[in-house]
Amino acid sequence: MPVVELSYSRLQKLVGRASKKQISESLPFLGLDIESEEKDLVRVEYSPNRPDYSTDFGISLGLQGLLGIKTGSYKLKIKKSNDYKISVNPSVSKIRPFVTGIIARNGKIDDKIIKQLMAMQEDLHFGIGRKRKKSSIGIHDLDKISFPLTYTTSNRNFKFVPLNSEKESTISEILQNTEVGQDYGSILGNSSKVPIILDSNGQTVSFPPIINAAITTVTTKTKNLFVEVTGINKDDAEDMLSVVATILQTAGFDLVSINIKGTKNTTPKLAERKIIVNPSLINESLGLDLKNSEIITSLKKSRLDATITKKGIICNIPAYRFDIFGPMDLVEEVALGYGIEKLTPLLSPSQTLGHVNPKSSKLKSTSLTLVGLGYLEALNSSLTSKKILYEMTNRKPENIISVLDSKSQEHTILRDSILPGLLENLSRNIHSQYPQKLFEVGTVFSKNNPVDEKIHLAVVCAHQDVHFTEVKSILQALMKTSFDLQVDTKTFSHETFEEGKTASIISEGKNIGVIGEINSKTIEGYKIRVPVVGFEINLSGLIFD
Amino acid sequence: MSQVFHEIEKKIISVLKTDSKLNPEKLEELTQLSPDQIRRGIEWLKLKNLAIVNEIQSVHYSLGNNGLESYQKGLPERRLLDLVRNGPVKISEIQQQLGSVFGPAMGLAKKNNWIETQGNEISLKNYPSVIPGEKTLKQIGEEKYSESQIDQNDLKILLQRPDFLVENIVKIKEISLSDNAKSLDITSSAQGAIDVEAKAPEVFVARTHPLRDTIDEIREIFVTLGFSEIYGNMTQPSFWNFDALFTPQDHPARELQDTFYLDGVSSKIIGTKEQIRNVSNSHKKGWRYYWDINEARKMVLRTHTTCVTIKHLAENKPEEARVFSLGPVFRNEKVSYKHLVEFNQIEGVVVGTNANLRNLMGIQREFYRRIGITKIKFWPTFFPYTEPSLQTMVYNERLGKWVELFGMGIFRPEVTKPLGINKPVLAWGGGIERIAMLKYGLDDVREFYNNNLTWLRGATKCR
Repeated sequence: MPVVELSYSRLQKLVGRASKKQISESLPFLGLDIESEEKDLVRVEYSPNRPDYSTDFGISLGLQGLLGIKTGSYKLKIKKSNDYKISVNPSVSKIRPFVTGIIARNGKIDDKIIKQLMAMQEDLHFGIGRKRKKSSIGIHDLDKISFPLTYTTSNRNFKFVPLNSEKESTISEILQNTEVGQDYGSILGNSSKVPIILDSNGQTVSFPPIINAAITTVTTKTKNLFVEVTGINKDDAEDMLSVVATILQTAGFDLVSINIKGTKNTTPKLAERKIIVNPSLINESLGLDLKNSEIITSLKKSRLDATITKKGIICNIPAYRFDIFGPMDLVEEVALGYGIEKLTPLLSPSQTLGHVNPKSSKLKSTSLTLVGLGYLEALNSSLTSKKILYEMTNRKPENIISVLDSKSQEHTILRDSILPGLLENLSRNIHSQYPQKLFEVGTVFSKNNPVDEKIHLAVVCAHQDVHFTEVKSILQALMKTSFDLQVDTKTFSHETFEEGKTASIISEGKNIGVIGEINSKTIEGYKIRVPVVGFEINLSGLIFD
Repeated sequence: MSQVFHEIEKKIISVLKTDSKLNPEKLEELTQLSPDQIRRGIEWLKLKNLAIVNEIQSVHYSLGNNGLESYQKGLPERRLLDLVRNGPVKISEIQQQLGSVFGPAMGLAKKNNWIETQGNEISLKNYPSVIPGEKTLKQIGEEKYSESQIDQNDLKILLQRPDFLVENIVKIKEISLSDNAKSLDITSSAQGAIDVEAKAPEVFVARTHPLRDTIDEIREIFVTLGFSEIYGNMTQPSFWNFDALFTPQDHPARELQDTFYLDGVSSKIIGTKEQIRNVSNSHKKGWRYYWDINEARKMVLRTHTTCVTIKHLAENKPEEARVFSLGPVFRNEKVSYKHLVEFNQIEGVVVGTNANLRNLMGIQREFYRRIGITKIKFWPTFFPYTEPSLQTMVYNERLGKWVELFGMGIFRPEVTKPLGINKPVLAWGGGIERIAMLKYGLDDVREFYNNNLTWLRGATKCR
């Protein structure tokens, strides 16, 4: 989950009439987990479905609602204007077909605001932008640009001075030499043309979704902003724009519209949507008995306007709340506005009778039998390494199931056997008192359209005088006590076991496992100083399906 | 402290009071105890600093083949001298009489000037009364000697002769009483009493794994709350792990860095035609992108057990149900004190009567109460497949802060509708290791999988 750093004093200024304590206690009830706090600073984790919470401006809107300072929907006031136009050239349609944008004027920008805007941009790019693939934003100093603009394409030899640079580079150079170019260049594929925004003087404004031009850089001296969003889907681009527009208006800017024309592109409306919700759905889902007026009050505290009609409660959803899909999302908004802390838990009698799965019971009985025989249960990960599974036990790898790009070298393949892990456990305990008797019951994996999962049981016993007979006695007692089964052992060869002291385990005519003394190569490899015996059996097919 | 002695100890002490140094065999004979009793008694007394055990090495000699022959017939040179004692004898006859020892006998007799050779006859010059080695050979042959009686020069000579003597190294234990023990009055202690204050040797219990105990405890609690357990595979098609739960295919959580994808393994059959079509439509409508069935076929290690419960609901469409699934789940994360790549999760659902948020909270509160946690509260949170969503916060007394435990919520209609589930479904679940860490007071989750015998043998069972 993403994290945002907030300052209590800034939040107090933005929220108005709220103490630090009130704010601190309310944050969790907006779904914001406090990660750490230090004096005036607080770091909170927010949900990826609420990009408006990536800035303190967005969070203060939520806090105002919850604390009852300002409730109801936060409305965008966009002034219509003919001063700003973007025309779209059809050449973009196959690469990045949509552009949208807005003008934000007469604001004040300081370092803290720049930091907030950058955090918001990063969050939008990562989350709903799907790492800039679906949509991406550029924020520019309006006064460095002369309208109208053109959203068009250029070839890769096209040159301009990109952000954080003083000299001109070609598109190809930017893609090769800059970090953003390397990270996001793949979005553009191999097309010879790339999207570009040019102003009326032919000056480059932006090369989306990679980088802005240096000339439009926003500084603390900037007063007026131009925001553009480009993408492969019009609705997603406008969703993204709605968050930026809302945050900028909260930050004190006046919004002015941009006329956008060209292939499938239109001027964004950023209008409210309406969703109807039935009050009974709300009460049945939450286990409450709220009056319609209480529902309306709760929705208002969640910064949503709602009215009662014959059809149900009609709720107006501002554009930036695109996380709201339908009525169930409004149920949550009611719960939040009502106050989660006011929802008291209820315990109604269960209408069903619970039962333990027979598989669990059988596994438990098997484990308890082994405990009765003096064995201690070990637990190893199903995801292990070639070293433990094959190299140390001299087994030949066959049809390994690997996972892709594991972050841990010790966890790269799924185990096909339990015993190797137990031998590794013994090697880690050579300084503990002997005898050491361990068992493990767990899942093993094999490839079979697509994967077979079986439950195996393995046992190891290590001490100075241990020999084959001791562990065969354990096997016999286990099979008899747990499953009332006889077992036979037939001479066998296995890479992990000593030749001549190894047998396959046969029960009711089926080969179910292997038993024997672990060979000296394995034991020495693990620097275990006492002999080890053990067995492994397949319980699937024996006591399970 | 009054000392209490075992009968065995008493017998050994009293015998040693008379005979100050004895070996174990002698002790057996005098005490009439078995070798094992003597061994244990000595060990006990040694631990109490009452007995001193000295190990002495001594060499014992016995006769070899040549030695035995010489012991029976006399040394070869003595036999030669005896043959010629009554006048010269032909060499050939002596050769015949002495056989293989003729050579060494002649050599020694000549060297010591006891005989002389004239033509083909040998005659006596001197007849020694004692020949070097002769006396020691007799002593060893008769097995009547003590080390001090043996002439070391004689012994050296015999040892140089081939196969005359065999050396046996014998270790002898000599038991004696320490000064403390000599003054003990062993008659005063009660008959048959044992040292009940002495430390007993450590033995270790065989047991189920502490984490397994926690898993069993949690299973039992939910069963008594009316839930039934269902099982499902750990390897799942992405369809059930993600798509069926309304997680878009381009969602960051599905990427390689969080999810373990199986290399080159995909599933041909992932669901019914209807399920696939409906889920696909739900994604297209809700997330506005091209839904790719091949992406849904990719096999992953399940990232939660929710895939098991949702599949169960899709297949059974119950009107009334409480089920849970419990088992390992996987996350491609760097292993640390708080993260494992594989951990256990329990995840359950409630369908039917009273399936509302307050009842879900009630089930959670009851569960925590039964595992001994009473200080809890609920906070809102976000899960892609539930709405509303809450999490339980539990107060950790040891750390002095609120920690997050199980999450819960109502399945989104975007999840249930496409699968033909028309009733509201409450879902809850979370990691089990976190609860086990609270229970066993651990700060490092890796301890559960280290299989460190010291910890496993020592972790308290009842908490």
